[in-house]
Amino acid sequence: MRFVILMAGREVRASWRRLLFFFVCVAVGVGAIVALRSIIQSVRTGLSREARTIVGGDVAISTNRPMADDLRVSLERAIAGAPVTARVDSISTPTMARPESGEGAAAAKMVELRGVGAAFPLYGTLTLQDGRTYSHDLLANHGALVRPELLAQLGIGVGDRIVIGGQAYTIRGIISEEPGRRAGSFSLGSRVLVDIDDLRASGLLSYGSRATYEILLKMPASAVDGFANAIRGNFRDRFIGVRTYRSTEDAIGNDMERAENHLSLVGFVILVLGGIGVWSVTRVFVRQKIKSVAILKCLGATTGQVLAAYIAQVLLLGIAGSVLGVLLARTGIAAIPPSVGSALGVTSYGLTASAVAQGVSIGILVSLLFSVVPLLEVRRVKPLLLIRGGLTTAPPPRAWWTAGGLRDRLSRVDRLQALAACVMGAGLVAIASWQAASLRVGAVVVIGFAAVAVVLHLAGTGVIYAVRPIARSKSFSLRHAVLSLGRPGNQTRVILLAVGLGSFFVIGVRALQTNLLRQFSVQLSESGADMFLIEILPDQVDRMRAFLDARKAPDAGPARLIPVLRARVTGVRSPGAAGFRDVRNQGREYTITYRDHLEPNETVTSGSFWPPHSPLPENAPEIEVSVEQNIHDSYRVNVGDVMQFDVLGRVLPARVTSIRKVEWEDARNGGFMFVFRPGPFAHAPQTWIGILRAPQDPTPRGQFQRDLATEFPNVSAIDVREILVTVQKAVHTITIAISVVGGIALGSGVLILIGAVAMTKFQRVYEAAILRTLGASTRTLGAMLAFEYATLGLLAGLVGAAGAMAFSWAVCRHVLDIPWRPQPLVAVVGMALTTVLVAVVGVAASYDVLRRKPLGTLRAE
Amino acid sequence: MIELQHISRTVPSGDSMLTILHPLDLRIEAGGVVAITGPSGSGKSTLLGLIAGLDAPSTGRILIDGAEITAMSEDALARFRGSHIGFVFQFFHLLPSLTAVENVRVPLEIAGAHDPGARADALLAEVGLSARGHHYPSQLSGGEQQRVAIARALANNPPLLLADEPTGNLDSATGHQVIQILIDVNRRRKTTVVLVTHDAELAALADTTIALRDGRIVSTGLRGAAAS
Repeated sequence: MRFVILMAGREVRASWRRLLFFFVCVAVGVGAIVALRSIIQSVRTGLSREARTIVGGDVAISTNRPMADDLRVSLERAIAGAPVTARVDSISTPTMARPESGEGAAAAKMVELRGVGAAFPLYGTLTLQDGRTYSHDLLANHGALVRPELLAQLGIGVGDRIVIGGQAYTIRGIISEEPGRRAGSFSLGSRVLVDIDDLRASGLLSYGSRATYEILLKMPASAVDGFANAIRGNFRDRFIGVRTYRSTEDAIGNDMERAENHLSLVGFVILVLGGIGVWSVTRVFVRQKIKSVAILKCLGATTGQVLAAYIAQVLLLGIAGSVLGVLLARTGIAAIPPSVGSALGVTSYGLTASAVAQGVSIGILVSLLFSVVPLLEVRRVKPLLLIRGGLTTAPPPRAWWTAGGLRDRLSRVDRLQALAACVMGAGLVAIASWQAASLRVGAVVVIGFAAVAVVLHLAGTGVIYAVRPIARSKSFSLRHAVLSLGRPGNQTRVILLAVGLGSFFVIGVRALQTNLLRQFSVQLSESGADMFLIEILPDQVDRMRAFLDARKAPDAGPARLIPVLRARVTGVRSPGAAGFRDVRNQGREYTITYRDHLEPNETVTSGSFWPPHSPLPENAPEIEVSVEQNIHDSYRVNVGDVMQFDVLGRVLPARVTSIRKVEWEDARNGGFMFVFRPGPFAHAPQTWIGILRAPQDPTPRGQFQRDLATEFPNVSAIDVREILVTVQKAVHTITIAISVVGGIALGSGVLILIGAVAMTKFQRVYEAAILRTLGASTRTLGAMLAFEYATLGLLAGLVGAAGAMAFSWAVCRHVLDIPWRPQPLVAVVGMALTTVLVAVVGVAASYDVLRRKPLGTLRAE
Repeated sequence: MIELQHISRTVPSGDSMLTILHPLDLRIEAGGVVAITGPSGSGKSTLLGLIAGLDAPSTGRILIDGAEITAMSEDALARFRGSHIGFVFQFFHLLPSLTAVENVRVPLEIAGAHDPGARADALLAEVGLSARGHHYPSQLSGGEQQRVAIARALANNPPLLLADEPTGNLDSATGHQVIQILIDVNRRRKTTVVLVTHDAELAALADTTIALRDGRIVSTGLRGAAAS
């Protein structure tokens, strides 16, 4: 044992320069993991705070219908059994509001009335325009808080009174930002906030109202999922919905989860890159130590003792590298400008204990996993080489494509090394799964990585054969470069593997990042609509279009006006069936529309969409409908089926002629579950909605709203600008996070690539010295190295880029569940940069080899 | 006592087999100095490697002090070498990353010896290198490196010292010093010394000379026979 420890210490002392890169790989990998984890944890805390604000609590239980007494009792019992620390009830309902007196009193406006309890809001803050802080007292004695646009529409101000449901409320303030207001939800009117008891007493909640009842709860994070699942399970058939701040149903929740998965994957990517570095260093190190191992064996050391000494050394380096990594992470985090921190919604960054523990343990594990396979080589070192040199006694294997050649190779596979490789693979899958928090993702990533490794290995063999003809070239440099690629003990496959995997991940991360960012920007383009108009009457449509065109924001496209009706599905009949069968959610009311074209975010998956400009006659015997994929899935309806709709009391059968898939992520164009062929509804009672981008500056925006109210008194405008701004802020946050993380991954990847290439110089020192002795000039040697490395770089870049495209496709489609776009520019630039980087680093790292006097090198060897 | 019974060694060479040592029997008594001589390629180093257990014979068995080393596993052989055999190479083969004294300590540490430091210092003093203990091999001359190698070979006080061309890489004056040390070791410690050499002066100092040619023993003689 003493020998093992002493030898490990002495080796570290003697070889630290050569092992510096081992150390750096571990440090960079661990540093990246610790920094990323710490940042993720800080950001996640920030984001989950946002998520709670958006949901309104840790858990939100909601229903669209008044609760029966027995339901209320059992729900209350379930809540009483949960570790709830705070609770607030809330009821929202669309209704009409009008000024109590004064001008505009006749024009009632649609509002989204919300009654809240005293504890509101559980998360976030409700900000008032004049800067006062919200307190429930503002709502006491029939007080109300309203949105500015309502004041503009009704022509009244703070202190005036409005009448809702026969009860007058005094306006006590103007809402600037309301927590829990979701961007995705379409609301029918401007928000009016009152006390929940006033709302309950108002008679607005009588049978048939369209109120939403919500119970918002605060509870420890550990209890959230269990409680939500229990409620979902027990009350599913009683029309009770549950959302949690973690719930994936939530759009922001989805984005957060994607960001989290992405970040975890990036941590693993860096880890694997570091591991490749460790592997490559250890391999070269073992080669350099063969003679020392032979001497130790000659002096009586057993293989176990020698192996133990080197493993102890790896352990020492792993621990030291990990500690350095933690210090690097600390320095890196301290260097994050405060502006980035505040943009990410994080007040302060710091190393978290769990991140440090994870980083250090992964650092040590990876050092061991990646070094054990090459270290096992020492078992094969025979002390005989000290008197015989490197003479091998085994005959060279036959060509691998012959049966005998395969047998030769199989018989030479070291069983222990093969076993160690399996353990290493399993260990990597375990670490990857741990990091990505998913066994599937872990396995997919490791298998993908192994597949690229195999392809790179084969490519390496291929290139050695392919470039052979060049060995007849007249150029000395070219000829020797090619010979170097194929000589015994060449580094071709190793560099290809290390660099190829490196570029694979760097290009892959970049492509993934580009796809993710594009996804977010599609979701929220800056020029998107920020105002909705509702209740436009059919005869106002042309006038409205002219009005909007004259006033639209300079950078906005034309406003879109869409006819909408409301309908319920009452049955489905398949061809050949006798009658209509019932469907789930029979009572649910859908907003439907009719048009003669597909929107850009729609694709037909089955059947065919009707041609443009071909409306059906108004009294057509059969009308046609296109249904969305989700309807197809949940109602089990297919092309050719007939669906029966109840549209404003008229029962209409409609034949399904196509199934459409709507890219809901691309919400610019909205989405409808049911789109009808134009014609039959042309003169049906209907209203139109407008989607537009209003002027951005507050003054023209206010003027626009006043003009609109004067010209179209019946039309309500819903301003979602501040919601969009909030969401844009969140998206911006996520964008910064992804960019920072991607940057760290790219930086570490490039650093490790440089190291992997630089390491191979030790193999060339001796050869360069001999060639120099024989009269080769620095220029000749330089050209030789440049050509050799450039070939390797190009090939590694090529395979890496191809693998990266496949990788980003797989991750986008199967892990992050977002659409994938190929990134040819990323691939080409990545490939070119890899080639240049490898050539430059290869030559630069060998600079001292080129400059050094050959005798010193020859003596040292 | 070393006993070689029907020892041969063949290696594959291309598609055929190359015989380096033809079957031979040999007894080397304990306590003497034996020189193995012969031209390049005659099988001298192979024979020495077989005696040290660094290589396995194609046929036959080798016994050292009654222990059959040809039946031992790699690890058992390593332990046996650690306690019974010291080896000195033509190219010294010191561990480049260790100082002189550390190189001498290594076999003692492997064997788990008590106080390896003091013993290593004493051995270095014995070869006249007390002052150079903290130098790395690259900072020592060839002769000094070979003396460190001898000190290292003697660390565990082995009954058998094998030396492969110990003076082959040294100038004649330095070589002479090394020869003197080896002879002294034999005289004072009664260590059996078996050495392979081209050096007629060195061979002449041996008690017994074994001459090899083309993998066969062509003559064995007592002191002075090889020189004549």
